[in-house]
Amino acid sequence: MKRGLIITINLLIMGVILFFIIRYANTKAEESNKNEIIAFEKMTMTTNQIIANYLEDEQHLCDIWANYINRSAEDGAPMTAEDAVSFIRKAKISSEIEGHLIFLDSPDREGISTTARVSDPSVYTVSYKNLKIFDNISVSDTSDVVNLTRAYTNPMNGVQSIAFLNNVTVLDKESGEQKKGLLMRVVPLSRLEQKLVFLKGEYENVEISLVDKEGNYVVHGKSFKNSNFFEYYKSYNAATSEEYERVIKEIAGGTGTMTIKNFKKEDCILSYTPLETMTTWFLLAYIPVNDLVASRSIDWQLLGIATVGFLILLIFNSIVMMNYNRELSEAAKQANQANEAKSSFLSTMSHDIRTPMNAILGLNEMILRETRDDNIRMHSESIKTAGSTLLGIINDILDFSKIEAGKMEIINVDYSFASLLNDLVNMVQKKAEDKGLSFNLNIDKNIPMVLNGDEIRIKQVIINILSNAVKYTKQGGITFSIHADKMQDKPDRVRLKVSVADTGIGIKPEDLDKLFVAFERIEEKRNRNIEGTGLGMTIVQRFLDMMGSHLEVQSEYGKGSVFSFELEQKVVKWDPIGDFEEAFRRSTSERANYHEKFTAPEARVLVVDDTPVNLTVFVNLLKRTGLQIDTAESGDECISLFAKKSYDAIFLDHMMPDKDGIETLNEMKDITDTPNKETPVICLTANAISGMREMYTKAGFDDYLTKPIDAERLEMMLLQYLPEDKVTIVSDKEDTTSDNNDTDEYVLPDFLRDIKELDIDSGLDYCGDCEDYLMALETYLGSAEKKAEEIEKYWAERDIKNTTIKVHALKSTSRSIGALELGEFAARLEKAGNSGDQEILEKELGELISRYRQLAKDLEPLKDLEESDK
Amino acid sequence: MRKSFKTLLSLGMATMLLLPGCGNGKKEEAAFVPKYDKDTEFSLTVAGSYGNFESLEAEFERFYEYYPNANLEYVTMDDYNNVISSALVNNEPPDIFTTSSWMVGNEMYDAMFDACEVLSDSSSGIDYSCIRESLIRTTDSGDVVMLPIFTTSYGMLVNMDIFEKEGLKVPTNFKELMEVCTKLKNAGYESPMMGADRFSGSGLFNCFVYPMFAYNVTKNSDKIDALNNFEPSSGELMRPALERLNEFVNSDCIDVAKCQEEIVDEYDSVIMRFFEGDVPMMFATGDVVSGTAKRESKSDAFTANPFKYKFFTAPAGDDGGYFINSISICFSVNKNSRNIDMANEFMRFLISKKELGNMAGLKRLIPPVDDFSSDEIYSALADIPADRSFSDKETGLLDPAVRQFRAAIYAVGNGEMTVDEAVAAYGSIPEE
Repeated sequence: MKRGLIITINLLIMGVILFFIIRYANTKAEESNKNEIIAFEKMTMTTNQIIANYLEDEQHLCDIWANYINRSAEDGAPMTAEDAVSFIRKAKISSEIEGHLIFLDSPDREGISTTARVSDPSVYTVSYKNLKIFDNISVSDTSDVVNLTRAYTNPMNGVQSIAFLNNVTVLDKESGEQKKGLLMRVVPLSRLEQKLVFLKGEYENVEISLVDKEGNYVVHGKSFKNSNFFEYYKSYNAATSEEYERVIKEIAGGTGTMTIKNFKKEDCILSYTPLETMTTWFLLAYIPVNDLVASRSIDWQLLGIATVGFLILLIFNSIVMMNYNRELSEAAKQANQANEAKSSFLSTMSHDIRTPMNAILGLNEMILRETRDDNIRMHSESIKTAGSTLLGIINDILDFSKIEAGKMEIINVDYSFASLLNDLVNMVQKKAEDKGLSFNLNIDKNIPMVLNGDEIRIKQVIINILSNAVKYTKQGGITFSIHADKMQDKPDRVRLKVSVADTGIGIKPEDLDKLFVAFERIEEKRNRNIEGTGLGMTIVQRFLDMMGSHLEVQSEYGKGSVFSFELEQKVVKWDPIGDFEEAFRRSTSERANYHEKFTAPEARVLVVDDTPVNLTVFVNLLKRTGLQIDTAESGDECISLFAKKSYDAIFLDHMMPDKDGIETLNEMKDITDTPNKETPVICLTANAISGMREMYTKAGFDDYLTKPIDAERLEMMLLQYLPEDKVTIVSDKEDTTSDNNDTDEYVLPDFLRDIKELDIDSGLDYCGDCEDYLMALETYLGSAEKKAEEIEKYWAERDIKNTTIKVHALKSTSRSIGALELGEFAARLEKAGNSGDQEILEKELGELISRYRQLAKDLEPLKDLEESDK
Repeated sequence: MRKSFKTLLSLGMATMLLLPGCGNGKKEEAAFVPKYDKDTEFSLTVAGSYGNFESLEAEFERFYEYYPNANLEYVTMDDYNNVISSALVNNEPPDIFTTSSWMVGNEMYDAMFDACEVLSDSSSGIDYSCIRESLIRTTDSGDVVMLPIFTTSYGMLVNMDIFEKEGLKVPTNFKELMEVCTKLKNAGYESPMMGADRFSGSGLFNCFVYPMFAYNVTKNSDKIDALNNFEPSSGELMRPALERLNEFVNSDCIDVAKCQEEIVDEYDSVIMRFFEGDVPMMFATGDVVSGTAKRESKSDAFTANPFKYKFFTAPAGDDGGYFINSISICFSVNKNSRNIDMANEFMRFLISKKELGNMAGLKRLIPPVDDFSSDEIYSALADIPADRSFSDKETGLLDPAVRQFRAAIYAVGNGEMTVDEAVAAYGSIPEE
């Protein structure tokens, strides 16, 4: 997943979380706001109670004054206005509070004040002529009702005040009659406001107003910009007339809370309640909404912290992930290097094992062809079997390597099913018989003759299953069955049902799963003597999977197993194969010793390999075909021959010192003046790991042949590439050589037995017969000086790599002629060369070359023999 | 050379920025620069007789931008004129209070003026040069203790839509007025001009000819004392105005009876009748105009069919109308204020072309500065020639003389006296 995508997903998740946090915070904030508003409303009620208590207290004090004055009147000794005011002057405690006794029926609503006018201390007369504060006020004698004016300007001192009222009866001095007067306890408004100071602690910007039922202010909060609250509301709230009426009704209707806009167009909370003592007055508590919901900012802080936290987490995780990725990348790099090392190892192993295997199996093939000694033939057959097993193991490992690398491909070709069966039975039947097992065939006669599919992989699959059956069966037998069913929905196809039943050791149910695990071997301890890599069934399963099938296993521990699979194959030729068992029996009984598939004495091929023994093997394997074979031991020699002589096919080794096969091929391609422009060039290689075919094809080779060279494959390949007019096919019944007359015409010269460095028996064993041995010795002699000089040259240049390659070649060739000690000596120095031990090379290489030259010198009489032969 | 020029330029700009208040009339007004720390906490109370003073409260808000910790409050005082003197010496005195030009010379307010800060004193830092000089009142000793905030005038509200509809131009002199009125009358307007038939200054007769009379007085300054002393012969000075009034009420311009019937007071009724939309011209003072904005929404007729209207001087003169500018209210600073520095600071802020214009615009009164752009309704006043623009201070008339003139026009306008009778009775014409 790309980093950008991961970051986007992380940010989206963060966004979702933050969204839910915001929603949650908003919900909580709304709840909190509601609670705040409820608390504010409660505060309004509390304020209402405080104001009511205060007003009642003030009214009560006014009542006391009035009661005293009125009691005097009731007692028949009414006070004059001056006496009453004098009494009040004495009774009142606070200098801020004034008592006004006025007579509403006087022309100027005049009366007497307890306190002189501040602007003229001699004047105690007070006039309310220009003050409209007594409208709508009903003055009553009952003491439990507060009779209150709105806030007004005290005409005596200009202070905003409120007045508590009571009727009193006083004596009119002039008339001697009693008359009604209005007693006013005038209290500065600030005294009432002081009672509300406590609110400032809790609500900094709260404003308390008192309005009458028309909305006119009694006490005016400073934020209300009008003399009438309802006018103020209308001015700043763009209310419709319906809304305006509703607000008036709501406020007059009781206690509640509403949201209004102030003159700054800010939302404000207005809590209202009728004044307890004066139901025609209403208390309005006003506060900007932001003051009530200030706690919201804490939520935003938390949100900010959460966001920053998430971002830090994201960055931290990204850094950690980047480190992990770096480590993983490093690990992947190391793994790739290890894989490359594995590939390199496999390549080396393949090469190093296949190279000697080429000699072993090639020369063994010569023995099988040429010996008439049954014992020798038996031994040779054993060598062939062991060699094949070893090659099988190597091939398994290489196949697994290909599958792991994803380079294994299914290549469908037309193939003869009888031929495939033939190969299979040939390969397995003898093994089974050797173990004393019965090998039963149950082959459907109606299997079509020619099918289309990957013959090689099918053969590998069945061989693996059959080989396993043979390996793990001690007694009893193996039944190999194949049946073909036509497919209704695919008329050009058949379904092959292949099964191999054995009476072997069987598999425990709990081990069945291990069957397909690479390198896992069931009951390792019990089966330690049974050869194998543990890859067989894994490869089978993978191949079947690639071909759209799968392996089924039914097994009973201790009794045997049945391995089966079904495979669809396209039919090329519907002719049935008939009775294969009978045909096979017949062919077996008629099976003769080796004979060449063709002869081509007119054809000429060139084989190039830096190892002379390999050239010998190649030449011998094709000896009976009569082919003209030229050999070359280096790229340059090859190029020289390529330019001069005409060939029908060229076999070119890949791994050679100085100029390898690919470099040589490239140079050959550049040569225009050659009779071999169209000549196929086949790569000889001991590398058989995955991807080789692609590599060689890309390099320009027409084909490749792996070492050890399979004689049959070699002949088949030549049949493919040689011109038809130069090839004569040899039928099975023909035999171009008279084996019976085949005797060893060559006698080894006596001087050879005097050469200490040579173990003639080993040489003969290696080369097969005297003729080949002599040929090998001559080859060895012919190239000795040159090889010795090459080693010296490379060593002089301190080219350890090429020195080691040459010593390696010396080792192989020396061993092949029976110079075993010299071979061992060379092997030791090769090892030193491979480990970069220059010291040993410095010390001993001279001796090796010296012994090499001495041996060549000892072999020089062979030249005389050669001359004389000519 | 260039460096010196730059230095001079910087100094010049700095000086311009430091110039306080209105500055010179034509000069670009310098922005207000607070003198004190903006975090200064203080409270100020402004006392006045207005029930509402929203335009002032808007200025409070603007002032808070410079002093966010300030707390200014407007307090309406009952029986203001009688109480203000006491309020200034009580325990909770206002820091700033409203005053009127008619208070000058009245003994009752001597104590009040004694309590006023001298605003012409340079220590107050107030530059009132943006205010029209004719509006500045001084004490006998020449001190300026009150600065006009709003002014008013006498004239008429004109329904511009009607004039546009009838293809007429607003008349600028008496002859044009007669012609226009005839056309309007012919167009179906029963009384092309209306107004409140009241004795007060907002009465229709006063709005029509008082500016003409006052102008005549200014041109005969030698007779002012006689007028103020009610010398009978000085009544002749009223004759031109009274004759013009007589001519007017007997023309097609006005149906006085209709006015009496349909306009019951000189304020609310005038506005609401005008908003009915069928009166081309309505006599009004600036104070009446100030009530129009709020009443637009109260008038169903105006809400249904709004129209454009403007204030013009009444075209009573042969050469045109007269713009007499009267002070509506002034502000004075209580020199005993507990926050005298901040009270002066607020005044320094307020006395500027910009802020006075803002206030007048909100209140819909005429600003005391030479800029009528704050409210388009008064824009026509800018076209009155300087010769016919003057303040009531320039007339030198005392309030009793003004009231006698008002009694004369009320009697003549209503047909209770002839012009000759009124002229002859000057000094003893019965007042309301």
